[in-house]
Amino acid sequence: MNSDAKNVLRERIELLHPKNAVKNMNLIGRMLADNREMSVWEHDTKTLPLGVRRWRRRALKFAREYIRPLAPEADLHPHDYDPKPILSAAARKGFQTLLFTPPIGSASTLPFLRGTTLQIAVVGEEFATECGGLALLLLAHNLGIVPLLLSGSIRTIIRHFFPFYIKSRILGRPDCMAFAITEPGAGSDVEETEGGAMANLVTTAKYMPAMGGYILHGQKCFISDGAKADKVTVYAKLEGEGIESWTCFLVEKGMKGFSVGRSERKMGQRASDASELIFDNVFVPKKNVVGKLRSGWANNRNVLNYSRPVVGAMALGHGRGAFERCLEFCRRTKLGPKKLIEYQEIQVELADMMISLWAARSMIWQSCRQFRCYQSASAAAKVTASDTAFKVCNQAMEIMGDHGYIHSNGVERAWRDSRLTQIYEGTNQINRLALFEHHMSSDFYIEES
Amino acid sequence: MKNGTYMHISAEDMESYRDLARQFCKKSLQPLFEGEYSDGNLSLLPEKIETAFKIGLAASPEPSMPGNCYGIWGASVDEEGMKSSLHLLSIIAETCGGVAMSLHAQGVASNLVMQKGAEPVPVPVPVRVGLCLQEGFTPPYLGTILTPDRDVPARVMVTADKTANGYLINGHKSFVYSMHDVDTYVVFVRFGETWACFLVPSRSAGVSRNDAGVRTGLRACSLGHVDFRNVEVPRDARIDDGNALALMARALCMNWAGMAAIAVGIARGAAAAARIYAAQRYQGGAQIEEHPAVKALIAGSEASIGAAESVVLSLSDCNDFSLRTLGKAASVKLAATDLCARAVTDTLQTFGGYGYMEDFGMEKRLRDVTVLKSAAGSPLYLKQLIFDVEKEAAI
Repeated sequence: MNSDAKNVLRERIELLHPKNAVKNMNLIGRMLADNREMSVWEHDTKTLPLGVRRWRRRALKFAREYIRPLAPEADLHPHDYDPKPILSAAARKGFQTLLFTPPIGSASTLPFLRGTTLQIAVVGEEFATECGGLALLLLAHNLGIVPLLLSGSIRTIIRHFFPFYIKSRILGRPDCMAFAITEPGAGSDVEETEGGAMANLVTTAKYMPAMGGYILHGQKCFISDGAKADKVTVYAKLEGEGIESWTCFLVEKGMKGFSVGRSERKMGQRASDASELIFDNVFVPKKNVVGKLRSGWANNRNVLNYSRPVVGAMALGHGRGAFERCLEFCRRTKLGPKKLIEYQEIQVELADMMISLWAARSMIWQSCRQFRCYQSASAAAKVTASDTAFKVCNQAMEIMGDHGYIHSNGVERAWRDSRLTQIYEGTNQINRLALFEHHMSSDFYIEES
Repeated sequence: MKNGTYMHISAEDMESYRDLARQFCKKSLQPLFEGEYSDGNLSLLPEKIETAFKIGLAASPEPSMPGNCYGIWGASVDEEGMKSSLHLLSIIAETCGGVAMSLHAQGVASNLVMQKGAEPVPVPVPVRVGLCLQEGFTPPYLGTILTPDRDVPARVMVTADKTANGYLINGHKSFVYSMHDVDTYVVFVRFGETWACFLVPSRSAGVSRNDAGVRTGLRACSLGHVDFRNVEVPRDARIDDGNALALMARALCMNWAGMAAIAVGIARGAAAAARIYAAQRYQGGAQIEEHPAVKALIAGSEASIGAAESVVLSLSDCNDFSLRTLGKAASVKLAATDLCARAVTDTLQTFGGYGYMEDFGMEKRLRDVTVLKSAAGSPLYLKQLIFDVEKEAAI
């Protein structure tokens, strides 16, 4: 084909492009066709309620300004960076108090009433896009707070949320919180009904009427932010009883007998610690009992309903981070005279990654769009998003060939980070069982034979 | 090789080689992993590699070295096929994928040097060799393999020019896997319209190496990028016979087959670890191996590993390393690394949170096998190459 013929063909292709072809339609026809040239991120943002849109934009800005520059070093040398500045900055901007609305939280009120976790999920995706470890550092803290909220105790909420809001949003000195359920002999067991019934738990609370509180003894492991936390919501069975007596206690740093054991060496999300917490006859005053006695198991299961969509959103962020960095690589890398992004097989692969991420985001947002999160939707969102993220990260690494596994390119970090999301907050197998359990009397009912 | 002739490897010989590899893993490699780091104590690695040379597992172009003939990719591969090397790599990878990769990279480069045949090898004879084949982020596509001077899709940028006494080499090679402290590089370059292959001492003027930096896995094997700036080499440093295309095909075939075997070894190690863990760990009042979800993960992984192993062993008796085998070797790497990566991630899942921590070595296995998938030919590249090779063969 000579150059004139090529030019003619190029002009025809340009004319056939939907944005130009639509000019041949009448006014109403043109209005019904949406050919705005806008990124997927912008398109998605515009579907959100106004208050959530604002948080999404703020989170993107924060992630790029604060998380991106810190991420590579925090991953390589997790013990050598100081997490306080970023925790403080996030708190001042209101990211640490999104679990309630003003005057004791920073979540946008109307959207909060329509979807309690949507704002945190949206923020979580943006943070995790830049770094899984730092995102976990900032978000695991919400996991520590949510038992207080879900305890249903107005007294607990007021007593703890108000001072926390003042310290976080106004003073910029937030208390970091953590959530402790997992024990060395009981991981998946504490996240599932049948396992719970047979769980081998050691952390026990003994009531001491004379002292006005409980003596806590036992051990928890793999606690995100455990080493950094100022306060931990800890679940323990009452002495002489089983898991049905599980009660949530608020344990504070400095309480005698409370110490941090080993911090795990993990494959990813390294900027946040996963630590062992040791309770050696720790006295916990009665006022630190969260909610009713023996309401811990129900509280724990409901916490998982609220946290799993956010874990899914974080996974989505890991996948998106890998996708964005891979896309950038394809834009700047040449194979012969052409850029990588100009090759059709690369375009197909990139489009496939975007479709996967889009589908996962739709599912997460759908699961968050109700005031009360429920078990099956939360589990489904978490499973879909974490499996999708790991798949997308693998695709990104494969497109980049040998560059994919080099740390400085950032994709392998996202890949390592994403793998954890298939494990924590209940392995994806446990989450599937959770979904089944929720609908056993409806979708999955079994006829008696 | 004894007195210039090959001794056929019998089934008993093969078993004793396997046993040698197992003993090497048990006595030499396992102590590397007694510390808290899943990648092991890499400062002890040089002495372990030295042991591999002494006992004949590591091949070397130096004829007096024990592994010259029967080591991994030693000279016997042309008579016996790939079986021995594939088995040994797989066994070593059960303990450490990085060490297996190190021995593999040394073996492939050594084998190329040994192809020089009756021609004199430069003195001193290289002992530790590294293969410089790749430019950019993938090995050459078939178009480039056949016509290195044309952009199909990308021409070869590392060149050799003839001088009065030899050749002058210029360019940049990337992602060179090798043992630590190689003394010589085997370098593929464009010479006019064809390929040429040279031995370049690593300490020659104009040769510089940069470490590839922190990476996901296979950390026991050295990885770097090598620059050649006006590097002068004598005439006898050229090891091809006028066109290095056959050597290029040999290098790629061996490289992919070996990497596939390493992936199988890693996955087998992971499955064995998962079996042990599943029998010891209790959840829900029973050993986790009693839970159907865990059974499904382990059984599915073992099926994938079995399939991958069959695919790899389909190359066992192959001693044809020409372009005819290229598509087959690419298919083996594509299929085996994918199956094994899936198997490793599934077996890791059975460990729950412990799988993600360094203590059980599962996360290292996942990192290692994932690198094998992308290294020296990603799935996208391999698919393209397999298609092109088949098309070329049909024409």
